Amino acid sequence: MSLLIQTILNGLLVGGLFVTLSIGFSLSFGVLDVVDFAVGEWVMLGAFAGVASTTWLRIDPIAFLPVVFVFFAVVGWLVAPLIYRVRNSRNARPALMALAFTFGLATLARGGMLTAVGFDPRTVKIGVVQGTVTLGAVEIPTLRLAGFAFAAVATGLFMLFLYRTRTGLAVRAVAQNKEIAGLMGVDVKRTSNFVYSLYAGLTSMAGVLIGGIYSITAQDGPTYTLMAFFVVVLAGLGSVGGVLVAGLVLGVLESLVTVYVSADFTLAIVFGILFLVLVISPRGILRRGTA
Amino acid sequence: MSRALALVTSRGGRAASLALLLLVLVSFPGWGGDYWTRILTGVTMWAALALSWNVIGGYGGYISFGHVAFFGIGAYTTALLMKPGTGWNFFATLPVAGIVAAAVAVIVGWPVLKLRGAYFAIATWALAEAVAQIANGVGFTGGSSGMSLPINASTSFFYYAMLVACVLSFGVCYVLLERSRFGYRLKAVRDHEVAAGSFGINTTAVKLQAFALSAVIPGVLGGIFAYWITFINPASVLDGSLTDQMVVMALVGGLGRISGAAVGAAVLYLINQQFLASFGDTTSYIAVVGALVALIVLFRPDGLVSLFARGNQTRLVWQLLGRAIPRARPSAAQRPGKTKEHA
Repeated sequence: MSLLIQTILNGLLVGGLFVTLSIGFSLSFGVLDVVDFAVGEWVMLGAFAGVASTTWLRIDPIAFLPVVFVFFAVVGWLVAPLIYRVRNSRNARPALMALAFTFGLATLARGGMLTAVGFDPRTVKIGVVQGTVTLGAVEIPTLRLAGFAFAAVATGLFMLFLYRTRTGLAVRAVAQNKEIAGLMGVDVKRTSNFVYSLYAGLTSMAGVLIGGIYSITAQDGPTYTLMAFFVVVLAGLGSVGGVLVAGLVLGVLESLVTVYVSADFTLAIVFGILFLVLVISPRGILRRGTA
Repeated sequence: MSRALALVTSRGGRAASLALLLLVLVSFPGWGGDYWTRILTGVTMWAALALSWNVIGGYGGYISFGHVAFFGIGAYTTALLMKPGTGWNFFATLPVAGIVAAAVAVIVGWPVLKLRGAYFAIATWALAEAVAQIANGVGFTGGSSGMSLPINASTSFFYYAMLVACVLSFGVCYVLLERSRFGYRLKAVRDHEVAAGSFGINTTAVKLQAFALSAVIPGVLGGIFAYWITFINPASVLDGSLTDQMVVMALVGGLGRISGAAVGAAVLYLINQQFLASFGDTTSYIAVVGALVALIVLFRPDGLVSLFARGNQTRLVWQLLGRAIPRARPSAAQRPGKTKEHA
């Protein structure tokens, strides 16, 4: 029984990080109208930035988080106009071409990192938070707790920004209807760039913590892309609120499968459920997304 | 110069050059040597794989990021059927491999082909990841240590097997996509699904048929490939980089063009072999493939073949001669298949 509680709790704590990496992804889909296949690569790159901070700079990755955020936000700011350009180009099939473009970027990131660091798994050594916290019969790794705390703060700030600021209002307007948002004086292109760079920074910060909880290799990007997809499909594509629930569901699911079935089948089971959701309710479990 | 090119691209000229190409291909093992025969076996395989991706991607307008799943399913089907104990004839396993791949495509495609293209891309990709994990995890596929097949050392046997499969694929796709009502229906659905539906086309059925067609080809090729390399494991026949390669070959060749796949496959496969020979690894090749996909999408969305399309050639010649572009030439924007999509 305590194993079950332990497993669910571990899953919920990691689920927080899945929420963080999916929420920006979902929003950037809403604003740019492009499913970003590079989402997992941001996680992978962020984790390797964390590895670099401990091995080269000897700074604790937690203290390094703001640097990771700024760096990847800048990278995202540089990439976003290209995606925007492809998405709004006048060639035959802009939506598909934009998909292919982010797919190309993801492949480039994966191939580049594989060439640079090889296939060996690394772990981000987070020194500040170690050991476990004992709560009755269950033991919670402090790192997971810290990861969840980070996710809660980051997601909370993100939601505050989205629902309590004028820029956030503009972002939501663009996600709803680009043309009308443009007519209301919102600079759609600037907003898109802004959201994408925010998302890149947020996701790579989550990557640092994910790289601390699990080990990571340069070819792990697609796994996390799949996780993010799972979350947003379960939530309904473009629905930010659904992500909060779906991310936690994924965390618990992954944890349960790893403990009670086998880690070898996580992706297969995740895919099975993804498929069922698409068959039964393509707009997500809360029926808020767009089909 | 332009007259020579015009001759090649004219209808009679095209048939003649196709016949010449076929003659060269059929006689190749006789004079080309073992090494180049093996290279050409790879080129023909990839040409057909890129074509199969192009069927759903270029003609159907749905991007599949998990096409490797069908290749791997075909490879494992053949391997399982040829295992000692079952011991099927190699040629008898190929139709089964194709059918199994198509069946999986229909089951997966049925719910997601009704939705937007993004869902399809996600679902196919997740399928490939799941199939790879299942092949790694279950017992009868040998897990990550893979399966061995009976050994057949004849280079020309596999060359001809691939060539026949490749020519058949191109022939069938050409007839179905360019010379039949099915092709018109598929392109109509791609270009404007609502309008196509209002003409009485069952849009989901058409897309599903196209997806099944595009899965049969890698299924059969996977079967031949498994017998060719005599040992398969998830890393060799279910690796995501195989999909990457199909995508980039089809993009280089040009989406929605039959010939594009062959051109893209030839160019990319030779580059790939060169990378293997000079660097000994393929990780840098992955990066190059990614960069190439991104660059083509940005600057040449019609594929590199569009550089050599007829209108462009003559325009290029006129530009080189420093004259104005003749007005009668249809511009790129007016060619068919250019309507705005609703993916």
